[in-house]
Amino acid sequence: MELDPKTMRTTKPGIKPVILTLIVPFSFILGFPLLWKSVEIYRSPLPFCGIEAFSSQLDSKPLHFRCQFQAMFLGFNFTASNDVAEAIINKMSLLNPNSSQCGNCGAYEVSVVIDSGTSCMRTENSKAQCPFKCGEEVAFFGGKLSDENVDELLRGCLGNVDGGGNVYSVVVVNGGDKEAEVRAVVGKYRHAWILGGVLEEKALSRVAEIFAKVFMNGRSEGDSIRAKFMPVGADGRIVLSFSLLNAEPRDWIYDWNFREIDEILLQPVIQSLQPIANITVESQVLYHTQKSSFSYWDEVLGSHISSTKDLPFFVDSNEWHLDTSVAAGGRSKVLQLLVYIPSAKECPLQLELPNGDLSNTNGFISRVIHLAFKFSLLNMWGGGVVWNPQSCIKDLESKDPPRHMISTQVFLSLMNCHCLVTRQLNEVSVFHRDSHNVWELDVLSQNHVCLNLYSCAATLGSLSRLVMISLEAAKFAQSNASAGIYDASAVSSRQARALAEDSFFHPSVMSISYYSYWHSVSIYAPYFLLVIKPVILPVLSEWKRYKQENMKFVAWKAKAKVT
Amino acid sequence: MALLSRKGTLFMLFLFSIFLLSASASNGSGEEEEEEFWEELLLKPLPDRKVLSHFHFQNEAPLSDSFARHHHLFPKSIAQLVKKFHIKAMELSFTQGRWNYERWGGFDPISSHNAKPPGVELWAVFDVPPHQVDASWKDLTHALSGLFCASINFLESSTTYSAPKWTFQSALGSLRYGTLPREAVCTENLTPWLKLLPCRDKAGLSALMDRPSIYKSFYHSQRLHLTQAKTGADPKNSRVVLEQTLTVVLQPNILTGGTNYVSEAKMQPSWSLSSIFGRKINVERGLVTQLENLQSSTATFAANGTNLDDFGRNVGFELSVNPDRVLKEVEKSSSILYEYPIKVHKDSEQFDLGITWKHPVIWSTPHAPLYASRFLMGSGNERGAIAICMKSTESTQGLVAANYVDQRCNFQVNVLQIVPWYIKVYYHTLQLFVDEKPQVLTDFVERMRVSPSEDKVSPGLMELVLKLPCEVKSAVLNIEFDKGFLHIDEYPPDANQGFDIPSAIISFPDFNAGLQFSDNSISKTPMLSKLQERSPVISYTEVLLVPLTTPDFSMPYNVITITCTVFALYFGSLLNALRRRVGEEERCLNDKGNTQLFQFLHPKTQVT
Repeated sequence: MELDPKTMRTTKPGIKPVILTLIVPFSFILGFPLLWKSVEIYRSPLPFCGIEAFSSQLDSKPLHFRCQFQAMFLGFNFTASNDVAEAIINKMSLLNPNSSQCGNCGAYEVSVVIDSGTSCMRTENSKAQCPFKCGEEVAFFGGKLSDENVDELLRGCLGNVDGGGNVYSVVVVNGGDKEAEVRAVVGKYRHAWILGGVLEEKALSRVAEIFAKVFMNGRSEGDSIRAKFMPVGADGRIVLSFSLLNAEPRDWIYDWNFREIDEILLQPVIQSLQPIANITVESQVLYHTQKSSFSYWDEVLGSHISSTKDLPFFVDSNEWHLDTSVAAGGRSKVLQLLVYIPSAKECPLQLELPNGDLSNTNGFISRVIHLAFKFSLLNMWGGGVVWNPQSCIKDLESKDPPRHMISTQVFLSLMNCHCLVTRQLNEVSVFHRDSHNVWELDVLSQNHVCLNLYSCAATLGSLSRLVMISLEAAKFAQSNASAGIYDASAVSSRQARALAEDSFFHPSVMSISYYSYWHSVSIYAPYFLLVIKPVILPVLSEWKRYKQENMKFVAWKAKAKVT
Repeated sequence: MALLSRKGTLFMLFLFSIFLLSASASNGSGEEEEEEFWEELLLKPLPDRKVLSHFHFQNEAPLSDSFARHHHLFPKSIAQLVKKFHIKAMELSFTQGRWNYERWGGFDPISSHNAKPPGVELWAVFDVPPHQVDASWKDLTHALSGLFCASINFLESSTTYSAPKWTFQSALGSLRYGTLPREAVCTENLTPWLKLLPCRDKAGLSALMDRPSIYKSFYHSQRLHLTQAKTGADPKNSRVVLEQTLTVVLQPNILTGGTNYVSEAKMQPSWSLSSIFGRKINVERGLVTQLENLQSSTATFAANGTNLDDFGRNVGFELSVNPDRVLKEVEKSSSILYEYPIKVHKDSEQFDLGITWKHPVIWSTPHAPLYASRFLMGSGNERGAIAICMKSTESTQGLVAANYVDQRCNFQVNVLQIVPWYIKVYYHTLQLFVDEKPQVLTDFVERMRVSPSEDKVSPGLMELVLKLPCEVKSAVLNIEFDKGFLHIDEYPPDANQGFDIPSAIISFPDFNAGLQFSDNSISKTPMLSKLQERSPVISYTEVLLVPLTTPDFSMPYNVITITCTVFALYFGSLLNALRRRVGEEERCLNDKGNTQLFQFLHPKTQVT
């Protein structure tokens, strides 16, 4: 048999060199995880499971508050109280179909007390005394007492009813006279009352409506949709920075005594909002703060008009040094609230809404014409009011410009006018009703519990949770929410969110986010690039050679078989 | 004094304008509740044909409950800093250029307070327990850094600041001091500084601040000085005083007066406000409008010389506007201050004060007792020495004349020298030469405080209290050092330029920089009282530039590359050796050899 050494070989090619060359890259591959581990940044072990469970729980089972409702019918003749409760619940679920949203009342209990005068019936879960202690008085004085007095009277009676104080009640008093006007009033505290001749069926639906729309959603009748939450900073703080801007002090100078305004007007609100946010107030007076947008003179209206479309130019951040709050360090929210006094050249200045109307000027008072606008564009920024002096004529005679003080009353009307503060401080219509409503605060804190828990979960999830305390606080908020302690849950949810944000800005987390993948690639590339050639190339060439030799062997075997 | 006047005619020329702005915080709760604001300008011709202009703004607010929350005139941002970091006193200065102590003087309040080392200088006294001072300082540097668009935050590192005890009198343990000699100062630092004024540069004296004029000046220093002034025993009655000053040394554009040209070269340049700043003070109603309680606003102007009595004729110059008040300095230099109230000039459109010199005048400014300079000695990158040289000036000679009777006349000199840790100073090598003769230290050094530097932790600090004889001609302090090595990441960009050693501070507590005016009864404006305030004479030395050994900054990369090459060679040759098939190669070689032999024997035959 003829053997061509170029195309054939008699022995099987050895696998040894291939294995030898393979061992080196293989050991490299084995060592790679070791290297990777050694250059890795240390991260502290985190309770991943707990956080996962927490956020999945929030997603699957939205947070619900325990809400207790109580309807009291005085002078009605219902047969079975349980049926009445059923009927109210049915009507409420019709009125409020998306009660599964976070922050809503989950499973609500409705208890009913029916006092027909002669007999008194109540559902088992009702805590009210039967007969209702103040029933007589409310029924008797109903029409005569002022709303405030009825409110206080009911508070006195209902205050004893429940322990937690979180039962929402509606008292329906049948005036007897079928023709009498029906009045439904929502009080300052957690109760409402309906007076007048009401039919049973009508009474039921009114009660359900008050429960569902007012107490559950914080929406009083006729009001449009309200903002859902306050712009609280990530650390649970808000700084309200009030600035009085004198456009041209050569014409006139306005000043205010903000200390007094703060003490009288703002502190009560701030106190009541304490569980939701830590609010601080500061003020300054600025001079020579011209606006940088142009206004035009309108002959018909007799005033200068500036379009609200120009608002981004109206606020001239270059010249108005508003951003000077050292108190609000880091993640606190600063809300800038401005009062702008135009110059004599531009007085009176009115603002035109995008639809061509003038901004609503409902607050006329004797000395000043004022006009307010809501910075819809700058929702999370704050707001401003243009305040025109009464006579826009500059006093050319006097050498010194006149100096005026903005009094507390004027300031109040300014704020009232378009609820500068109430818009931002949200629903708590403090300035409307000279005090705040407890049920509105309830809704606000419910919304905040939700918002805070959700953003806490999101922040934690995105950075793989650093802090256990945050979790605990959040859980505490949850348990408080289900126990019906709104204030405490608002406090701990705020704490949870602040801690979560803190952990996000923790230096170790920052270094992780700054040390990018490409950074490490660029550091180790020279090493691997140089070494890779002598390691990989022999493997390839050895493999190629092995295949070639093997072919020769196969060829020889085939030939041997034929012969 | 006799010596002084022998030197020739001595001239000082001042002008200033004052505006007062005040806003009451509450109706009728008394004077304490008021926030007040003044602004003043002082102009002074310097002997070397330049003009010093010194802007002085003062803001005062009571330290009440609403401090740092509700303000009318006082800048809220500064008030919040004071409250947040519990600042008792603070001074921040941004300086470009070097104050020429020889020509521009060193013995008056302006040079003592406003001549600052180049770059940024910051000191602060905190009202916190000792263990919190450092934390407050760090926070403060960051806050100021953001507020003034400067890299003050570099002072946060403990290697850049120290706690001197004797140089600043207000100290008491909680003072921290740091400088950044290389900080470039420009208009981005001036703008936030101006923002602290109620009207920024829209109205008032600050409207004069023409940026090109300021930044082409020979020296400019913007300063912010915060103090708490107690008005009564009750701490609640104290007020926070914020002084903002801008000191500029300018070369005025010469107004050609039409006198003979021969003497023009010798003449002092005549100038006016508009020729210095390119602007005039706008006395139009706007300026003073804000100012309700506008009191006497004044512009003053001073001259002095041998012929004090008949001003205006013999002093050799003419003022374009008549001053409202003339004040004479009596103790030191017998200079004259002319005061111009702006309110008086309200009717006129614009206020443009000018001075026209009539004949050549030569004078010199009073100097600090010792003229201090500092230099480096030695060569090479290993070691060197710092020398602080103090030479006597006419002030000490005057002292000798005054105290001639007392044979043992001495005066105190405080020296503060801070060195970064990488300059390793050997404090035992400190030498003192008085009148060029080496002296025993203990003879002259009254007290000494040394805190040696610690590598990468703290700078070295040396405070000396020297007692020098009045008749001293020169005193030289000499101290040796080794140059240290830094870690590669510790080098600043452009490390080859060298490293700065901050200015040493030389102060003379026995000398009073304040001026004494003849008429003390008249109402004082903040600047006047500042000029009269008793304060020690302070001067700064030059900043030194020390070249350090710098590594080859590409070295780490070279090391990586060489290591990798070695690895590559190693693996390459290892694998080559492993893969060699000795038998096969020999066979191939043999085959090749056979073929070559066959070809040699049968050259025409083709091998198949």
